[in-house]
Amino acid sequence: MKRIEVKLALPVVAPLLDVIKELADSLSRNLAAPLALKDLDDEFQAAWRDELLSTQNEEVRTLLSLFDDEFFSDGVVAFDETNAEIIVRACAAVRLRLREKYLKPLGDEALESGDLDLMTLDEPLRRAFMCYLFLATIQELIIQHLDDSILGT
Amino acid sequence: MSIVAANPQLSPSPQSETELRMEGLWRVVVLNDPVNLMSYVVMVFKKVFGFDEQTARRRMLEVHEQGRSVVWSGLREKAEAYVFTLQQWHLTAVLEPDEAH
Repeated sequence: MKRIEVKLALPVVAPLLDVIKELADSLSRNLAAPLALKDLDDEFQAAWRDELLSTQNEEVRTLLSLFDDEFFSDGVVAFDETNAEIIVRACAAVRLRLREKYLKPLGDEALESGDLDLMTLDEPLRRAFMCYLFLATIQELIIQHLDDSILGT
Repeated sequence: MSIVAANPQLSPSPQSETELRMEGLWRVVVLNDPVNLMSYVVMVFKKVFGFDEQTARRRMLEVHEQGRSVVWSGLREKAEAYVFTLQQWHLTAVLEPDEAH
């Protein structure tokens, strides 16, 4: 089984985990990408929403579970075919929520390019943007190395 | 998944407005968002629709540059299933009637 291990700098990543945990609470009640189908029957729409929320919650829980006691002792997270898909989706959900909650003032162009001077940002915004970049890096790593695992399932 | 999925046990009844609306062909349209990575969208298109790399990349660029891309067209029930799956991947997708048919 293909597996990648990533050693992270604890002092950098630990504060970002607080941001993710805070957003996990909001994501437990709201879809990261709101339902865009308006012509569905109410009951059907509610059933869709519930199922999507349940999947989303599982994704975010799995993401947070990467950062357990072992991580805080060695700073290593591991991705393989058993968690790659779920983690890459969790990262997407949290990034979408980061934009909604913190990053909208930066403008969509900056979010798309990632081209921003971190030192010009206030602390909460800087931490949110670092978290946004951190999750994108995890996604890129997984897509680059475990793309076959995800496409094969 | 469709709300108008017919129950074969029931005798035919006059079609409701909803049923009529659901007939015909529908397009699955993916809308742009500034958050999801290009590589992520390409991977999702390959995974969900079975596109090859070139097709997935072309569709992704349509979304990125034009704000939307029609990624599939067909019967309502399957189109809804695709929208649901795209939503699971946190992409925004809508359905619209395929006027070309």
